[in-house]
Amino acid sequence: MENTNLILDEDEVLRVKDLSINFGGLKAVDNLSFSIKKNQVFGLIGPNGAGKTTCFNCITQFYRPTTGSVLFRTKNGNVEELVGQNVHDIIKKGLVRTFQNVELIPELSVMENVLLGAHVDFKSSLFAQALKLPKARKEEQEFRERTMDVLEFMGIADYANSLCSGLPYGVRKKVEMARTLLCDPKLIIFDEPAAGLNDVETDELTLHIRQIMEKYQCSIFLVEHDMGLVMNVCDRICAISFGKFLAEGTPAEIQKNKLVQEAYLGEEG
Amino acid sequence: MEKKRPAVKGFSNKQYIGFIIFGLCLCLIPVLVKMGVLKTSFLNIIGGSIIYTIAALGLNILLGYAGSSSLGTAGFMGLGAYISAYMSADLGLPWELSLIIATVIPTLIGILVGVLSLKMSGLYLGIATLCVAEIFRKTFSQFTQVTGGFAGKSASFPVLFGTIKLKQTGTFVLLIVFMVLAMMLTYNLVHGQLGRALHAIRSSETAAQAMGVSLRKYRLVAFALASGYGAMAGSLYVHFVRFVYPSTWNLLLSLNILAMIVIGGMRSIYGTFIGAIIVYAVPDLILKRIPVVGSYNGFAYVFSGVLVILVIMFSRGGIAGMISGLVSKRKARPAETAAAAGTDDSSGAGTE
Repeated sequence: MENTNLILDEDEVLRVKDLSINFGGLKAVDNLSFSIKKNQVFGLIGPNGAGKTTCFNCITQFYRPTTGSVLFRTKNGNVEELVGQNVHDIIKKGLVRTFQNVELIPELSVMENVLLGAHVDFKSSLFAQALKLPKARKEEQEFRERTMDVLEFMGIADYANSLCSGLPYGVRKKVEMARTLLCDPKLIIFDEPAAGLNDVETDELTLHIRQIMEKYQCSIFLVEHDMGLVMNVCDRICAISFGKFLAEGTPAEIQKNKLVQEAYLGEEG
Repeated sequence: MEKKRPAVKGFSNKQYIGFIIFGLCLCLIPVLVKMGVLKTSFLNIIGGSIIYTIAALGLNILLGYAGSSSLGTAGFMGLGAYISAYMSADLGLPWELSLIIATVIPTLIGILVGVLSLKMSGLYLGIATLCVAEIFRKTFSQFTQVTGGFAGKSASFPVLFGTIKLKQTGTFVLLIVFMVLAMMLTYNLVHGQLGRALHAIRSSETAAQAMGVSLRKYRLVAFALASGYGAMAGSLYVHFVRFVYPSTWNLLLSLNILAMIVIGGMRSIYGTFIGAIIVYAVPDLILKRIPVVGSYNGFAYVFSGVLVILVIMFSRGGIAGMISGLVSKRKARPAETAAAAGTDDSSGAGTE
């Protein structure tokens, strides 16, 4: 019964179809559809309050969409409907996200924070962990090595043993990005990765996003207000306003689009 | 590009050695008592502190790591104590078996109580768990066939493997062994996948879920651990004190155990012991000997109450946090340049 609907094109990773969510009378996301291809950096833009983060939350199941479907090609190649799944199961499929206001654990070191990204990949039981059986020890060590690889890749290996609480904002953003890389992701969602970064850091971020995509062979889906970054880094962009679809296309097409310009600058008198 | 990769710190056995040395130091107390340096009452008081340390370690996992509050610790200790007394004294089961049963049954009940924590938090959860503990306490006094009611119930010192009959000193050493084991277990649990998951839940539920941490599962695990530690402490209590009354397991005891981890240090293993000593042993050993004020019964509560306020105002990490703060300051001064890269050693030493 469900098989008829669970079809994605060969090169598609995520397809959002007719997604809507109402909060009381307000339609925060209204009949939104788009699809993200393999190894693509896909941007979602829109004025403040357009429903971008709400859209993310609907995809990752923090919110239950009122209608619509979210199809995702998981790590093992199956296509699954995400709507209705547990929030904590989403990462197992290979879909992982960051947050607008960096959500790290201040009391833990950078290493341990990033290790949390491998939470679902730990195999040893609680019992084995409590007694630190050789199996559990080996596993922890392996993940720590892998974490160090990721930290080196992100250029923050020197901070590995520092507590997160005292770190500069730019570094914490990188830690949060590093945390998404440990679970063998197929699609990473970045919620405003450039917010709060200076120009140098933003340039570095542009580079990082492309590098992540190439190294981990995944797709990246981002919301961002920094138009320079969006235009530089994205392969395709979807623009929305008040929860409604405006336009989709390459950065150049979006820049020229009348509807998008109106949404951002207001209608011409 | 030829930058040296920082060493990956794995799990080390150093902490184990620390706990064992700590336990061996405590074993000196009975020796000193035998030599006449310390009074026999010292054994009772420190033994009590050790028992409360075990219960407080469990609460520290629940409150310090998972961030769920509970005022039911005393209820679970009582449950462990009564089950253990009933199993060994009335049913004649071996001590080891009654300890296991007295730990497992309350742990399972603790999981059921943990379901409450999925629906509420903070103050409301505190009140709900308090109600559960009060139900236990009422049961202890009314269910006379098993508990002996207000008259209390007695038990004997443990008999190991059915042959080795322990006396007070031997039981004291046994308590130390259990505390050291509980410390190791706690250390392992909070420094692995479970510890990170609990940290994540306390720090941000949304981020925890996004990283695949099931709130339901880990909240229940935390409650199970807290109940299990508490019940085990209760079972050890009844075989050390050899008597149990319903009125022991009241709100005051739960609050005292809470005060132990607040004063000693949230998320600190040694701090939990320091807290137990301050809240339980110091009033008996020192305060009561102070002239005039010492004779007032409630003075101990004023003392721990004021300490809790001071700790919350000035040092959120408790006494353990204060000590590790001092140590890291000392370490940082000669090697200021390395401050950015290697602060983990100093901060990790006291606050685990």
